[in-house]
Amino acid sequence: MTEIQIPRWLVAAGATGMLLLATGMMTQVQASAEPEKQEQVEEGEQASQQQEDVKEAAATESTPGDYTIIDGKVDQGTYDGYIAFTRNCMACHGPDGVGSTFAPSLVKAAERRSFAEFARTIAGGRDIQPGRVMPSFADDQYVLSNIENIYSYMKARAAGDLGRGRPKVIEEEEEEEASEGSDED
Amino acid sequence: MLREMSYAIATMGLLAASVAAQANQNQLELQQNPELWATQLGNYQGNRYSQLDQINRDNISDLRAQWQFSTGVLRGHEGGPLYVGDGRLYIHTPFPNKVFALDLEDEGRIVWSYEPDQDSRVIPVMCCDTVNRGLAYADGKLFLNQADNTVIALDAESGELLWEANNGDHTKGETMTMSPLVVHDKVLVGVSGGEFGVRGHLTAYNIETGEMEWRGYSNGPDDDVLLDPETTMMMGEPIGEADLGVSTWPEGEWERGGGAPWGWITYDPELDLVYYGTGNPGTWNPDQRTIDGEPADNKWSITVFARDPNTGQTKWVYQKVPFDEWDYDGVNENQLIDVEIDGEQRKGLAIIDRTGFGFLLDRETGELLVAEKFAPETNWASHYDMETGRPVVNEEFSTFRQGVNVNTTDICPTAMGAKNMQPSAYSPETGLLYAGINRICMNYEPFETEYVAGQPYVGATLTMMPAPTQDGDMEGRMGSFIAWDPVAGEVVWKKDERFAVWSGALATAGGLAFYGTLEGYVKAVDIETGEELWRFKTPSGIIGNVNTFQHQGKQYIAVLSGVGGWAGIGLAAGLEDPEAGLGAVGVFSALDDYTELGGILTVFSLPDA
Ligand code: HEC
Repeated sequence: MTEIQIPRWLVAAGATGMLLLATGMMTQVQASAEPEKQEQVEEGEQASQQQEDVKEAAATESTPGDYTIIDGKVDQGTYDGYIAFTRNCMACHGPDGVGSTFAPSLVKAAERRSFAEFARTIAGGRDIQPGRVMPSFADDQYVLSNIENIYSYMKARAAGDLGRGRPKVIEEEEEEEASEGSDED
Repeated sequence: MLREMSYAIATMGLLAASVAAQANQNQLELQQNPELWATQLGNYQGNRYSQLDQINRDNISDLRAQWQFSTGVLRGHEGGPLYVGDGRLYIHTPFPNKVFALDLEDEGRIVWSYEPDQDSRVIPVMCCDTVNRGLAYADGKLFLNQADNTVIALDAESGELLWEANNGDHTKGETMTMSPLVVHDKVLVGVSGGEFGVRGHLTAYNIETGEMEWRGYSNGPDDDVLLDPETTMMMGEPIGEADLGVSTWPEGEWERGGGAPWGWITYDPELDLVYYGTGNPGTWNPDQRTIDGEPADNKWSITVFARDPNTGQTKWVYQKVPFDEWDYDGVNENQLIDVEIDGEQRKGLAIIDRTGFGFLLDRETGELLVAEKFAPETNWASHYDMETGRPVVNEEFSTFRQGVNVNTTDICPTAMGAKNMQPSAYSPETGLLYAGINRICMNYEPFETEYVAGQPYVGATLTMMPAPTQDGDMEGRMGSFIAWDPVAGEVVWKKDERFAVWSGALATAGGLAFYGTLEGYVKAVDIETGEELWRFKTPSGIIGNVNTFQHQGKQYIAVLSGVGGWAGIGLAAGLEDPEAGLGAVGVFSALDDYTELGGILTVFSLPDA
């Protein structure tokens, strides 16, 4: 994978203090024109310095299904969930998780199922109805490590906080602004 | 318009005479009997035209469903039934690819059935549902491409397995969905897997033994492609340069360069050439297919090939879209039609293409004669340069120029194409093509992706929306059924449909054109005006093809329903209204509101007098 991989704990950390978790709240934040480049820099520069103090915070605060949305943009984990879904699941579960003629909507599944149930189906596969095979992803490390992210993405979709299409990622500075109210530009 | 029946029959007789000397003409002989439907597209030319006229404009309102048959398989049913004159219908299903011989004289009693034993792990590597486009027949044998890359021959009489051949490896993302074509003593098959970075090829197996006779790749060195740069023609001249299938790719990318020929094959018995198109070039992210950051042709993806069926050697090529930036898979059927253009009789090859353009080529030389838009919303290219044969791409809709991680918006048509695999029909009486088309546009955002064998190799995300409506269009329509003049390059009439029309068309001497809709209707329209004359609602959406044949003096119409395919994945829950905000999904019709899964064959005829 060559998508930008920002560890989930880092994202959670960037927004500690006042995370806009699943509230659908919108803030007035100026967006930079080049989000991806910005993040790559941030990843390199900030990862090491923030690593220690942030890890624990994330471990205690982040539960599967959490997501952050600011002005329609999502945290890196939720974005990774979208990408992992698109790569591995969309061909059956339809664009943006809406379902197809033969595989159910994962937006609805995330609404109804606990994370444990959701994850169990992905790891174990399912073949209840003939011809409707849900393959097991037990051997797919990439998918396994993204189950939480996929769940978060679907939760955000289910709550109506996130629309269809590929979401944009919140820039670090926006999260800081959101939490600190300061302008660092 | 006057009917010119005798003309059509005379032409066919001529064809028969000129090829009588060649080996195994069984399929050709069957095709020449208007009572039969012996090959998926009706004849080698791909015309999907029947000279039968018992069912016609005057009595179509009396057409009745006589019996129905459930295949027991859910998911998308493409292709259609074959009738070779032995009182049975031969049908197939999506994975697990069952085959049935049904007794036409006993309302579909099962004479025999066959179910291959396949690894279900092939299912997740099928990009667009587990579809299969049908059986081929010759000399008492049925041929089928299984999803798991096994090509099989069955004894049509008993359903007994005669031979099997392995054509690929599903753990690398290779699968099979297309319908084979029998030419002489060979059965020609193509591989699927354009979304998994496979290396496309067309392969010929001996119909008696199942031995491989030749394989022509869609990319790589000339020796693999089976072309000779000195003699193989491109735009009316020898290609000239060697190994373009390697040099028009960044280092090694041709090895996962797609070009899967998963559509239909047509054949000209006089010229002894087969025609087919190749699919998209590997990843959907154009940036990963550039050379020194500039667009590269990625040959021979999205290319029409004319090959000698005996050796596989390439007579000519025409690349419809060099350097694809939209997934405009070039597999659509090549209709072989004889036309008069600028006062001259030409052997034509007409395509209602994914790109939204209707092409007309000279099928002897591969020269481009006409390229005009049949889907008016088409905006990715303004037109084709008739000198170079290349599209003039609109920068605004170039996903490469707009860049990686940039969402290029409102591109028409969508990656599904203005027309997908649903085969068109051609009437020699009207000189027009009839096709179900898609009226859908897209936003397309390429992203960097990495090749992992057996994993999707897509590298773009996209969202779809109905094409903008124009005056007189049905509000929110996502498809149309059109009559296309391939010489003038004009739509003669169109009939809008709620959903993309994903079913194969049929034209008949009864003055009728037939097609199916995703809601599940079979419709008959006046071939000259497009006016709807008859409809019947089958139990599930139709992505199969409407076929016709005559048995014991009675003309039948038969079609497989069973919603699915890419249409079933893309349209099930409805499209987004680009104008509306969050939660507006469902503004446009969702397929889910109209139909559910289920494979059903419906057989129609007129009531006994
Ligand atoms: C080959 C097609 C296919 C692929 C690929 C696929 N699924 Fe499924 N999935 C299905 C089908 C079919 C079902 C329904 C199975 C059943 O009910 O028997 C299903 C069911 C599920 C369910 C259970 C839904 C519920 O209501 O409880 C979850 C969760 C799920 N899939 C997640 C995923 C994820 C995540 C991926 C990608 C990593 C994925 N699937 C990839 C076909 C697929």
